[in-house]
Parts: sequence; C-alpha cells; structure tokens
Amino acid sequence: MAKALQGIRVLEMTIAVAGPVCCHILGDMGAEVIKVEEPMSRARTPMHLPKPVEGAPDHPYNRVVNFNELNRSKRLLSLNVAKPEGRDIYLKLAAQCDVMVENFAPRVVGNLGIDYESVKKVNPGIIYVSMPAFGKTGPYKDRGSYGPGIDAMSGISHLTGYPEGAPGKPANFFCDQNAGLHAAFAILTALRHKRRTGEGQYIEMSMLEGELQAVAPAIMDVTLNGREGNRVGNRHHWYAPHGVYPCAGEDRWAAIAVTSDEQWQALCGAIGRTDLAADPRYTKQADRHAHQEPLDDAISAWTKDLEPYEVQKRLQAVGVPAGAVLQVDELFSDPQLQHRGSFAWADHPELGPFPHTRTAWISKQGNYGVTPAGPTFGSANDRVLRELLSMSSGEIDELVSAGVTSYEPVGGGEGRGH
Amino acid sequence: MPAPAALEGLRVLDLTHSTFNYAGKLLAGFGAQVVKIEPPGGDPIRHQPPFQADQPNPETSGRHLHMNTGKMSIVLDLDAPADVAQFRALVPEFDIVIESRGSGYLAARGLGYDDLRALRSDLIMTSISHFGQTGPYAGYVGAEIVADALAGYLNLTGEPEFPPVKCFDNLVEHQSALQAAVGTMVAVTARDATGEGDYLDISATEAAMFLLGGPAQTFHWMGMKAKRNGTRLLFSAPDTFYPSCLRPCLGGYVHVHTNTRYPDLMGVLMEQDELNDPEIMATPTAHADRIDELMGRWLMQHDKFEVVRLGQAMRLPFTEVLTPAEIAVDEHLKERGFFVEIDHPVAGKVKQPGAPGMLTGTPWETRRAPLLDEHRNEVLKNG
Repeated sequence: MAKALQGIRVLEMTIAVAGPVCCHILGDMGAEVIKVEEPMSRARTPMHLPKPVEGAPDHPYNRVVNFNELNRSKRLLSLNVAKPEGRDIYLKLAAQCDVMVENFAPRVVGNLGIDYESVKKVNPGIIYVSMPAFGKTGPYKDRGSYGPGIDAMSGISHLTGYPEGAPGKPANFFCDQNAGLHAAFAILTALRHKRRTGEGQYIEMSMLEGELQAVAPAIMDVTLNGREGNRVGNRHHWYAPHGVYPCAGEDRWAAIAVTSDEQWQALCGAIGRTDLAADPRYTKQADRHAHQEPLDDAISAWTKDLEPYEVQKRLQAVGVPAGAVLQVDELFSDPQLQHRGSFAWADHPELGPFPHTRTAWISKQGNYGVTPAGPTFGSANDRVLRELLSMSSGEIDELVSAGVTSYEPVGGGEGRGH
Repeated sequence: MPAPAALEGLRVLDLTHSTFNYAGKLLAGFGAQVVKIEPPGGDPIRHQPPFQADQPNPETSGRHLHMNTGKMSIVLDLDAPADVAQFRALVPEFDIVIESRGSGYLAARGLGYDDLRALRSDLIMTSISHFGQTGPYAGYVGAEIVADALAGYLNLTGEPEFPPVKCFDNLVEHQSALQAAVGTMVAVTARDATGEGDYLDISATEAAMFLLGGPAQTFHWMGMKAKRNGTRLLFSAPDTFYPSCLRPCLGGYVHVHTNTRYPDLMGVLMEQDELNDPEIMATPTAHADRIDELMGRWLMQHDKFEVVRLGQAMRLPFTEVLTPAEIAVDEHLKERGFFVEIDHPVAGKVKQPGAPGMLTGTPWETRRAPLLDEHRNEVLKNG
C-alpha cells in the first residue's frame, strides 16, 4: 500500500531537535526525506553506545541512540555545502524537492547561499521552511538558545513547579516537539495550496510563537484581567481534589483528578470514607477546592499502601480519573500502550529492532510507518548523486577526494553517544 | 487578487471540547470552514476561567476566545433525535469531522465512523481522547494529569527530592490537538491522491510520550532510567557540560547554558577564576553544585535582562524566565506583530496571541471566536 505522503520529497538541512522532529514526522508518513549533514559534523567514535547486532559492521557513528530516534525514516546525504561544489549539488537537489526545511541562525543560510531567494531561483515552487527559535526578525532574532531556554521565555517555566518553589522545567523539554509538529502542519497546509495552484511559498515557524499557543490561557488572564498567573504545583484551577498521591514503593505515585461532584462521591466510596462523602463541607467542587489539604491527606492515607496500578484500577472501576505515574521502563509493558503499538519497532541495520515513539495516532488506512533502513551515514549519497543527479563513479570519487562528500565521517574523534 | 487561503474549501465539523479545540483552530486559521457543534449550554471551555473581569460568561472565557478563533457555532443536542438527524444531514457537505466526546459516545448515537462514512464515503474523521478509542483503558475516565502520568512525562518533571509535578495547564491535551491537526492534514493529503477517507484515533497519552524525546529509547538501549532532575538535563555524565539549568538572579530567574565551544567563557563573563579550574572544566556536571554557587555570586548582582544581555553578547545562550505579563508587553513579540487585537461583540477589543507560524503565500488569519449558536441559520439552512 502507498504511504500517505508517498511522492513528496523533502530536503532537510537541520540540527538539534525541532527540525529533525518535523522531518521524521513527514518521513514516517511516507515522504522521501533527504537530510544533509556535513562530512565532519559528527563524532566518528562516539561514546556510550549500544552494541552492534551480530554480523553488522562496527560503525559506532551509526549507533547513537537519540540521533536514530530523531532521524528515523530518513536517508542521509553527506555534503559540505560550504564548498562551491557542495552548494552547487545542494541547489541541484533542491530543484528536485517539494519542501526544504532549515533551522539555523538567520545569517547562516544566507552565508551558505541556500536562503529562500537562492533556492527559489532554481525551484520556484519550493515550500521553504525556516524554524528559528524566535523568528527571522525582531530584537531576539540573533539570540542563541537551546530547548529549555526557549521554554523559559515562553512562560511555561514560570508556570510549572511547586507554588513555594522555583520555576520548573517540563521533563526533557517542550518547545522542540511542539515546533516540529507545528512545522509539519504548516508544510501539509502549504502542500495543499501547492496542489491547487502550483505555488510554493516561504514559511517561518518561530519556536517561541508556536509555544505561546499553549500558554495562551495564562496570557489571556493578563490581557483580560491584568492578572499574573503563578505556579500551582499539582493543584488544578477549579477541580479538587487533584494531584499525585504517594503509593507503596520508593518514589511511586498515582495521579488522581476529581472532575465532578459525582466522582467525589465515588472516590469516597472507593477509599472507604463515606463520612467525607456525607460531609456537606465537601459536596460541591468550589468548597472542596477551598479545603484541599484534609482531602489530600485522606486520599494519601489510602494510596500509600497500594501499587500505582492498583489505585488506577480501583478508582477507574468507579469512574474516577486516575492513573499510575509511570517510570520510563514501564512504558514498554503498559497494557494500553502495548494494545495501540505506541512504540513503532523498526529494524535498524546495525542495531536490530529499534523502538521508536510513534506519532500519537493510529488510523484505519494504516498508510504510514517508520522506514526500517535506519539513518546510517551517507545512506542517501548514491540516491542523490547517482540516481537524482546522474553522476558517474568518477565524478563521485572526485567529490570524495575534494572533501565535498564522504561515505564515512571525516575527522571527528570522540563525542557523546546519547 | 490575493491568493486563496491554503485550506479554502475544506469543511470541518468540530465536536471537540476544552483544549482539544486547538485542532480546529489551526484548520480555521488557514482558511478551512470550521463549524463547532456545541452541546446545549455550550462547550465546557466557555465555562472555564479566566473570564473577562472575572465574571463568568459563556462568551468571554479567555480560553474560548483563543482556542475557537475563526470557527462558526451551532448548538445540537446529540441526545435528541431531531438534532441527530440535523447533524446527519450536514455530514455529506463536510470533508472532516473532529471530535473528543469519548470512546463509544458517537457510535451509541448512530454517529460513529461507519455510520458517517455511509453518508459521505471519503469522510476523514479524527477522534481525540486521553487514552485511545480501543484497548484496556478505552473506557477509562480521562484528565490531563492522568494522561501526563501514564505517558511517563509527569514522573520526569520536578525536583528529585519532591513529588513529580504537572506542567502548566493543559499542555498534553494541547499537544494531542496539535497531533490531531497534523494527522488530519496527512489524511487530507492522502485523500487528494487516492479519493479515500480515513479514521484517525488520537491518544493524548501518546502525545505526551512523543514529548519525552528520547528517554524511553535511552532506557531500552543503554539501561539508563531517566529520573526527574529539577531544571538540569535529564541525563548527564560527570564530564557533560554544565550549566544547563534555571538559576535565581537579582529579582528573577534565568536559563544559563554554556557554549561548549569556548568552555572558559563562563568564568570570563562572571569573573570567577574557579569556574575555569581544570578539574571543574574537565568534569563540570560532577561539580554542578559548586558551579551553581560560583555563578550565584555574579548572577545575584544582575537582573535577568542584564544577565541575558551580557551573556548573549559573548554568545552564551542565556535566556530570561519570563512571566506571562512580561510576554504580553515583550518588545520582540510586539515588533513582530505576534499579538493581535480582536473585536468581539461581547468582550470588546481583546489583545490575544496571533499566528502560530507565518505562511507568507497564504497567511494565517485570526478571526474572532463565535457566539454560542451564532451561525445556526447560516449552517442549518432549514433550521
């Protein structure tokens, strides 16, 4: 069966996380994604690696775990775009692509001669996507930043954490996947326009402005009421009780959210506190919200001897939202995630079966899936140089000698493996 | 003549609620006609704070004003046969149905995917829920914090010596709506090629898992189990670069981060020779607490804007921990025209966040959120 985005070719010139996420989404859906990386861009012998599968070649640089996760469903073209011959190849390839994605600092693509104006000259219908942290204009355009630093500027850090504590950080980070998804949406939208009119366009996806969409409720409280929101820990703005409760075992917790008065009655029954159910001080949501501590204590007294999954099971059985606070290893055995196939296992040629975190949907057509080949170094070289640009072996050898392309990482040395 | 909007001609019935509304907002902003089907009394989002002047009013919830921009609204009671018939009569004219009513809710009313596909053979239908439409948790009652917990995201947020802490508001539900918008557009692309519709089942738990970005794979391959680590990186060996964390400064907080290419810059900027001690520079993460202390001497003498200005001038990627009030008046966002002023018949002129991205050929448009049932006559021609 044809995959959903079959026939769409994407040229990826990105680093870090947000750009790679955008392009692997398109690749998972069937687009042909060619990611450009400089021959010297990565460590030849990175550290902290999984072992190769038996019989596979020993290419440590192909076994970096996070790189494989973020760049699945792609092939890699080794190309030094800073050299004139490299830039020439880049533009000839861009002429045969539907979409180009880049996420460098604003000045970089101009210096390399692969900015929108340059690419548009060779491919007027290109959909050219830039994913700067803050935008290509404005006072912050040249700021350097990393994911958690963009989360800090979005307000999410200020609003995440315990009320009496300092600002927090959302798990790993939030802005990168958010930006990758927003950019994928923008590209699919622009592709529809292109199908109807033949026109490409320039797209600028500021990571910060994408992230502020999720912070809007707090921003609206400022613009409507002049009120500055603050951290509320695990409390909710109107539901109660609401939080994480200690369970049996070290650092084990269950999340519980009582979102209606009926659920409160059911919860009291489940924890054996019919006295609280009958207490008029707690029957209404607003009253419970004003007196949360004794209720939290009563729930904790019940949860503390139970496993997280047991709390989930007993409360869900009576219609109360509850779930185990899972640790990362448990994601592989959770029955619901197993049922849905939330990890997409794809064969990597040097690592074997690799569990990729799937996009969040399953569909009846099932016309998608992680490409099994793995993003190994130089895996797009022959596809691009021989098939798309019709170069001979002699021409390719010359490019290798000149350091324009390579079939294995050049230079490098040691580096971090994950 | 201006180009048509990118999604012009695409018609969407939107039966989502609360933060799941973001999916339809994205489609509407790029020109799709999105008709919100609201239950009697309105989508719950209309009853969620913040309200203008703190006065509950189904037309002035800040969430509704933001999440429902560009949509139309009609009220249909899907427990009333006459309204179900009206809904069914609409389906043939629409390309897409997006809903978040919960597993089995629509099917029980004769409005499941198979029922609706009989009315429109190439229909694209997208269901959003906390856990998915099938499987052992399909009948569970969902909530933001519960999806966050079951995705492993909650456990990784917070300080190691304190309980896990939920991220601000409904980030997970918001992500699931964003995933729904992407998946729906993938299905539109495929439909334009094959003529066939599709049914998509979105899980908010999986949307949160997608945000994890690597810890599950690191556990699988390396046996390293990520634990919450405050505002420091989740994984770090003794020789990993440091700082990357939030730290207090004079009157606020900043994100401080090194430039790994010039590891001595921190010491130079902060005039702390000990930061450039060879042992600290060789194994910075092993000395994280000491580095925090040394940085603190300098950080506590400068406010966050000054810290960032001085750091960025040396190419150190520092940023401020901004508050929503600071964001609302931020000069950068102002110069870029990010905030827009929207005129609403009840709320009046309201400043709110604008485009999530700039498509220069087919620009985003922020049009005001609809009044409850505002478009009844227009949508239900014989209504």
